[in-house]
Amino acid sequence: MKNTLLSINEATRTVNSGSNKVTLLDTINFNVEEGEFISLMGPSGSGKSTLLNCIGMLDNFTDGGYTFLGEPVHSMKEKNRSKLYKEYIGFVFQAYHLIDELTVYENIETPLLYKNIKSSERKAMVADMLDRFNIVGKKDLFPIQLSGGQQQLVGIARALIGQPKLILADEPTGNLNSKQSEEIMELFAQLNKEGVIIIQATHSESNAAYGSRIINLLDGKIV
Amino acid sequence: MFKNYIKIAFRNLWKNRTFTALNVVGLTAAFGVAILLAMYAVFQLSFDRFHEHGDEIYQVYTEDSGLNGIEANISKSEPFAAALKDEVAGVEKITRYNGSGVLLTYQDKQLGMGTAYVDPDFFEMFSFPIVKGDTKNPIMSESSVVMTELAAKRIFGDEEPIGQTVSILRDEQQVPFTVTAIVEDFPNTSSMGFDIVLNFKSQNEHAYARTIGRWDMENHEVYMQLAESVQPKQFEKSTTDFTQLHYKNEIDNAKRDGFQPNADGLYRQLKLLPLADVRFANFNQGPVTVSRTMPYLVLGISILILFIACVNFINMSIAKSAQRLREIGMRKTLGANKKQLFFQFWGESILVFLISIGLGILLAVVLLPYFQTLFKTQASLATLLNPSLLLVLILSVLLITLIAGGYPALLMSRLGTLQSLKGKLDVNGKNHLRNSLMVLQFGIAILLISGTLVLWDQVEFMRTKDLGFNKDQVIAFPLNGQLNDQQAIELLRNTLQDKPNIVSVTASNNILGLGKDGSRSTSVLGFEHQGRGVETHMVVVDADYIETLDLNIIEGRSFRKNLASDSLSVIINEAMAKQMNEDDILASQIDLDDAVYSVVGVIKDFNFQELDQNIAPMTLFALPNWNLRNAYVKVSSQNLEQAYTDVKAAWNSIEPNAEFQGSFLNENIDRTLRHERTMITMIGSGSILAIILSCIGLFAMSLLIVAQRKKEIGVRKIVGASVSAITILLTKDFLKLVVIAFLIASPIAWWAMSKWLQNYAYRIELNIWIFLAAGGIAVLIAMLTIAVKTIKAATSNPVESLRTE
Ligand SMILES: Nc1ncnc2c1ncn2[C@@H]1O[C@H](COP(=O)(O)OP(=O)(O)O)[C@@H](O)[C@H]1O
Ligand SMILES: [Mg+2]
Repeated sequence: MKNTLLSINEATRTVNSGSNKVTLLDTINFNVEEGEFISLMGPSGSGKSTLLNCIGMLDNFTDGGYTFLGEPVHSMKEKNRSKLYKEYIGFVFQAYHLIDELTVYENIETPLLYKNIKSSERKAMVADMLDRFNIVGKKDLFPIQLSGGQQQLVGIARALIGQPKLILADEPTGNLNSKQSEEIMELFAQLNKEGVIIIQATHSESNAAYGSRIINLLDGKIV
Repeated sequence: MFKNYIKIAFRNLWKNRTFTALNVVGLTAAFGVAILLAMYAVFQLSFDRFHEHGDEIYQVYTEDSGLNGIEANISKSEPFAAALKDEVAGVEKITRYNGSGVLLTYQDKQLGMGTAYVDPDFFEMFSFPIVKGDTKNPIMSESSVVMTELAAKRIFGDEEPIGQTVSILRDEQQVPFTVTAIVEDFPNTSSMGFDIVLNFKSQNEHAYARTIGRWDMENHEVYMQLAESVQPKQFEKSTTDFTQLHYKNEIDNAKRDGFQPNADGLYRQLKLLPLADVRFANFNQGPVTVSRTMPYLVLGISILILFIACVNFINMSIAKSAQRLREIGMRKTLGANKKQLFFQFWGESILVFLISIGLGILLAVVLLPYFQTLFKTQASLATLLNPSLLLVLILSVLLITLIAGGYPALLMSRLGTLQSLKGKLDVNGKNHLRNSLMVLQFGIAILLISGTLVLWDQVEFMRTKDLGFNKDQVIAFPLNGQLNDQQAIELLRNTLQDKPNIVSVTASNNILGLGKDGSRSTSVLGFEHQGRGVETHMVVVDADYIETLDLNIIEGRSFRKNLASDSLSVIINEAMAKQMNEDDILASQIDLDDAVYSVVGVIKDFNFQELDQNIAPMTLFALPNWNLRNAYVKVSSQNLEQAYTDVKAAWNSIEPNAEFQGSFLNENIDRTLRHERTMITMIGSGSILAIILSCIGLFAMSLLIVAQRKKEIGVRKIVGASVSAITILLTKDFLKLVVIAFLIASPIAWWAMSKWLQNYAYRIELNIWIFLAAGGIAVLIAMLTIAVKTIKAATSNPVESLRTE
């Protein structure tokens, strides 16, 4: 049996909206194993983003257990939790979320800065990444000077530079045309082959097909 | 990491260059002006602090019970200093001090010299280091003269000064003095100023010889150095016997006249005033009051201005942070922790502050010469270069950046990751802070504006008030030449007699207002009248005094043309008449020790002193051969300038070597208002800067609000809102803040200003209009500031604003 990366037990997320208690995620049970490429599907508002954010530790489950690499995330202190995700998790967003004031090169480099990696090492790592994504020529451009697809490539490069185990992608192709989408999905499949675990949220059946497993969400429940 | 921050900081500052510029301009102006004001304040506060024994040196004064309660008196008599040292324990060193101007001659050079007459202890007490000559006892001898390096240079040029002989005019004779020592030019924070120092006994007959052994003739100041083991309070207590012994008469008289004793039950008490307080002490109104209000007020203004600029910075940073939410969120997902984010944003603030401080220092350097002339100060930036002060300055700059830059940084670093990624910011809470800060800003501005207006009103009132004498047509100047005063006046009369534009010439030993030479003296005479002690100012005048100054005689007559026949007559003012309380004032007499004088006339009260004092009792004497000191020339009103030139020419022909320091009396009055004018200029420029800075902040806020509400404006226009309706919508929130500021600031301003006006016996009535005017100015300027942006937004094409969304 493969190693388990993370497991979620009876996890729930509720928020108080005014006087009402709204359940965003309802008793979720689910494991992620090494080598998986999971597609989260469901209509808009079904809780895909919320689940990804909770897995990525940007948000918390309000109830239930969450274990990541054998460590109990639900009972962890904020500081250790951020250490954990800094080390193992990379994010890719639908809106790319690049920093407008930084060049392509600098955007990719930023996570390394927060990991206190030496300058020479950083240079080599970023150069590798630029090479690999074929964007060496664009390294001094600013995000607004790139097309959506190119921006998302940079976004993925940035997510990968820290050599994460897990990539969480929230509708990564939502803003892209079908040709660009395909390229990104090919890239994900390639990365998955190289051992990166991927969880993506998507509307698109064809995108979901790249995954090794599909999880359907409806009103915060896995169906 | 650091490089990344710097890079992003610069790119951000550039991207928001309008705001960066507004911030840098505001902070630069604030820092520049704050540096100058702080420099001025520190300079004032550091006066007389350079004396090594400064903490042990005191000016000796007495608190006397008088008609109007406790009066402080710094004038002491000839035997006083020596007796005090002999009879009371704790006097380490003591010196008498008298300042005056003398005419010094060396070869064919004649120079007016500021002179200090002191006792030999002087150089051991005060730190005026001797750089050349006799360092031990330079003025032991009565024919020694000590001079400053500067004075020596003026007199001897490059010649060796030590051992040279100069002559000094005293009692109409040239008296030789030998230069025994040269003192270092004293720092410009010295209240004591002199060119030369002479032995106290080297004074003229009138000032010294005449007073020897007399306890009742008080004409100089006394400074003493207290033994280190003795506390000043303790010393003051221990002088009771001394006072009882030497001032028995005065004390008995005070008791007899029913005066109130002081808090310790004494009618006369010796007191010590610390040297550092002397400059800030006021002896004019009862007991001594030491007030450093002025320098602290200036310091306060500089802090307020910095505060206003910092508020702008904080408000803009917080408002701008909305635009950086995604960056914050992104950085958090990339692994940044709160601390790192805090330092990033704080670093950006520090960058702005460093640039502004740099430019501010530059601005201060550029403005310094103008500042120095405007405020007649010798303060320079070197004033601030004292290690402990520098440390305070650096710490306060750090503190300012920590608060102004750190607060927004803290807010930003605290934001939740998801919330910021979504780009939503709950701004309601922060608007309270922004609004209160803006209210505070405008409150300060309104406070300063109304302060300026009240000050200006009061000064105009004092300047234009009818003082009871003719100040427009009378030129006064000091008799500063070689001739004796009577001869000089005689010659002046003869020279000017047949000039058609000269009306009359007179002289008097007091000056009205403050002359160009800046010297002033008053003599107060105390004597017994009908078994009571009375006090009067004593003014000795020449013929035509009353006519020259257009004083009004309300009873009796003026002095006769033939003044000699009036040498035993006096003319008194109403206040004096009231004090004498006679049924027939013209039949009354004043009995002084040397002679009995008859009152021949009463003049209407006129303000012979400044307007912070009520008109005191005053008596005019026509004594022959008295030191008259000042000439007064009344000229016809046609061509005042020509008349001035004529008087000057006349004086130059009579005293070719003396400088003509004449000025019209209204200029003299103006000179007495210098302190007030300095305050007006300081507070006035402070208030202008305050309002400008507040408006910079307001402008920035209006830019942001308009940008934020662009879509709303578009929608409103489409559904039919008029331009004016939208302008009002955008403007009213801000105007509300200014109005609140006005409501808060006005009562405070009212209170503060009425308190300040208490200093003046003659003052304006505060009225609501001044404050409404200040508020009106603030509202008007604020409205104009916002109008630019809001009207543009209100008139813009709604479709355009919607499209850009
Ligand atoms: N903090 C929150 N408070 C209240 N409701 C929320 C919050 N976050 C998300 N929601 C709601 O939860 C539901 C799920 O949202 P989301 O996870 O973004 O769905 P999806 O990504 O599948 O479209 C939506 O209805 C959304 O409005
Ligand atoms: Mg979503």
